[in-house]
Amino acid sequence: MGILGLQIVAIFFALVMVYFAVLNYKRGELNGTEILSWLIIWTFVIFVAAFPELLRTFAKAFFLTRVFDLMVVGGFIVVLLIASISYIRTKRLEKKFEDLIRKNALTVVKKEKK
Amino acid sequence: MKIFIVIPAFNEEKRIGGVLSGLKKAKQKIIVVDDGSKDKTAQIAKKYTTGVLIHRVNLGKGAALKTGAIFAFDSGADAIVFMDSDGQHKEKDLPVFIKALEDGYEVVLGSRNLNFGVPLVRYMGNKMASLFVSLLFGIYASDLLCGFRAMTKRAFRKMNWESAGYGIETEMVVKTKQLGLKHCEVPVETVYYDKVKGVTMLDAFGIFFQVLKWRIKWVF
Repeated sequence: MGILGLQIVAIFFALVMVYFAVLNYKRGELNGTEILSWLIIWTFVIFVAAFPELLRTFAKAFFLTRVFDLMVVGGFIVVLLIASISYIRTKRLEKKFEDLIRKNALTVVKKEKK
Repeated sequence: MKIFIVIPAFNEEKRIGGVLSGLKKAKQKIIVVDDGSKDKTAQIAKKYTTGVLIHRVNLGKGAALKTGAIFAFDSGADAIVFMDSDGQHKEKDLPVFIKALEDGYEVVLGSRNLNFGVPLVRYMGNKMASLFVSLLFGIYASDLLCGFRAMTKRAFRKMNWESAGYGIETEMVVKTKQLGLKHCEVPVETVYYDKVKGVTMLDAFGIFFQVLKWRIKWVF
């Protein structure tokens, strides 16, 4: 019963995320490739949540006895990956932002001097 | 030797006027970088100097110093002296920086007498940071976080620092060593007016990791 409850929560969460992905697509914040990628990811999550036995073979390959353990480990890897990508992108944006603000400050003061 | 004074300022409307007024006696050109202040810092600074640069958004001390330095060197400076805008650095100490620059030093680090007037927590933190950097990089700056410093155009170009925030003072010391720049320390007087501004524990934590990163980068 406990597992079934968890499965329902996971499927509900994935459906909510599909809704947000579609919403962002309609707002023009995601392009065609991005919405397609997200739909594939969330559909995969729904399938795995509904039929966790599909991952049994993978769990055995990594010497994990439970499918749930595989999901937790996989989840950690995905989260770490996303965090590192976000970190790099944020640093790049910070640098661009700093350069822009600096360029603006230098341009304004040079104009004022003229 | 043309020496400009670069002052980064953030919400310093109460003190910037006094600082700039005191610097009038010095004959150096003054550049103020208003780092996204919400108050009248820039307007007040403009009464004293034409070299006021305004960051529309607060970027941090390192970024403000870089903007000021770029502008100073583009305007013909051979060297610059960095001073804080809160009045803790005294105009009377400027000649020792100028003399050190004229003597051929590329980087001049101000060193406050930490036995007087410095809050104990800052004193301890500063000394521990100095020892930590000394252990990792082999350069001992007795006052690692003092903002009263000077450097030549060549030193600035070579350093090209990346710190946008309070890590800048530490990065300057680290890069001085890494690049083999001729440096010295000079004693400066300081008065702490504001105990809530400056490097916080959180900043110190961030700087600690930055120092480790620079050390690892230095290996490779």
